Amino acid sequence: MSSLFDPDLARTAFPVLLRGLLVTVELTVICGVLSLAFGLLVALARMSPFGPLRWIVSGYVQLVRATPLLIQLIYIYYALPFVGIRFSPFVSAVLGLTLNVSAYLAEVYRSGIEAVPRGQHDAAAALGMRPSVAMVRVILPQAIRIVIPALGNYMVSLFKDTSLAAVITVQEMLFAGQIVSAETYDYFTIYTMVFILYFAVGYPAIRLVILLEKRVKAGYSGRKKLIVTPTGGVETVELIK
Amino acid sequence: MITVTDLCKSFDGTQVLNNVSLTVAAGEVVGVIGPSGSGKSTLLRCLNHLETPDSGVIEVDGHQAYIDERGKTLSAARIADTRSGVGMVFQHFNLFPHLTVLQNVASGPRFVRRKDRAESEQRARALLAQVGLAEKADQHPEQLSGGQQQRVAIARALAMQPKVMLFDEPTSALDPELVGDVLAVMQQLAEDGMTMIVVTHEMGFVRKVAGRVIFMDEGRIVEQGSPAEIFEAPAQPRTRSFLSSVLTHTAQDGTA
Repeated sequence: MSSLFDPDLARTAFPVLLRGLLVTVELTVICGVLSLAFGLLVALARMSPFGPLRWIVSGYVQLVRATPLLIQLIYIYYALPFVGIRFSPFVSAVLGLTLNVSAYLAEVYRSGIEAVPRGQHDAAAALGMRPSVAMVRVILPQAIRIVIPALGNYMVSLFKDTSLAAVITVQEMLFAGQIVSAETYDYFTIYTMVFILYFAVGYPAIRLVILLEKRVKAGYSGRKKLIVTPTGGVETVELIK
Repeated sequence: MITVTDLCKSFDGTQVLNNVSLTVAAGEVVGVIGPSGSGKSTLLRCLNHLETPDSGVIEVDGHQAYIDERGKTLSAARIADTRSGVGMVFQHFNLFPHLTVLQNVASGPRFVRRKDRAESEQRARALLAQVGLAEKADQHPEQLSGGQQQRVAIARALAMQPKVMLFDEPTSALDPELVGDVLAVMQQLAEDGMTMIVVTHEMGFVRKVAGRVIFMDEGRIVEQGSPAEIFEAPAQPRTRSFLSSVLTHTAQDGTA
């Protein structure tokens, strides 16, 4: 086993892979922030009273969800230039990943909005809040809170999916690994390092999502625990102070 | 204060309100009683347009509400403006769980009337004191008992300085021992001259506080009159049988 893993190569490859990891994280953060915002706009647009907007946005969501992300990235980078639309590899990746993740996040946001009880709409309306005010002040704060764990999971997925950008020559971690291993033919050492580096970032991210989930379940006061009753309802009980 | 003329409402072909007409004067406290499904709550929800009536005219404070002269429903924004003068308290409180008690009470003035935060919260504190919950200001609704939550909900509605308050079975979701505090707040409100329409099963409260009792059944107002008239000498057989079943039940509860 010790001959399989080459420590000397590992030492020289490490800085290269680390630069790749930096690009991976950069892609994740940029696409994450953009899709968290864009996904919310898409979710709201799907509930718009204006029909044509709803249809366009719904078509976009279906298109994205029914095709592979890999093909979407390839199409943006390799096919669009034929109709005169040309982006750098990095911009293509940001565009492709953001459009893809936003479509899924829009569905997540929508489920959160729908999970806010009818009574909250009633109470906001009864106070005289206009629909837009009720959405911003009452519905969205609760809806977003409900979906925070789901959003977190999608962010972790996004982190992993950025590796697909290697196919369109973005110099993220997988691409860096491919370059080094192609020079040395030592796939074992390089890809073991790539594996470990992904895990080193991905695992803490997963723990963070679990922590967020616990925080959400602790209720708005931080002292409640949600309990799912046998009938499928949800109740809160006060934890010991 | 409120005039309802020939209000009709149906859900999926079931007629829930059938030509209901009703006038409530300023300062009047009206108790609405009747069996489940008699249309009491729907009537209340129509009064601030949480339900859209099929037909009929609702006037609030002398103005035709929710529809224009040609019978067309007003814009969401104008409906919202009308609602802000009509306070409503719900069976399940419907406090905003993400806001503190104080922020809940201040939410109407802040987000609807766009008053500044300090002013809204100062007034909210006074209202919380009025319902006996000043010390709960910084807690979240989930930390309060049902009775406390309902008193906060009353304070939240009062913060908009409504001309009329609608109560939709305000104590039905409460444990029996918590009902009294909520009713006490409502009674004080009535004594202070608030116009109130109260849908409730609390016959004792209606008898004591209401100036007029309306008995509804199957989407119609069957009978109305003073508490003495309705409780002591109901004219309609339907009223009589409802009251006898409800009051017997209550008496049994009391001895149990």
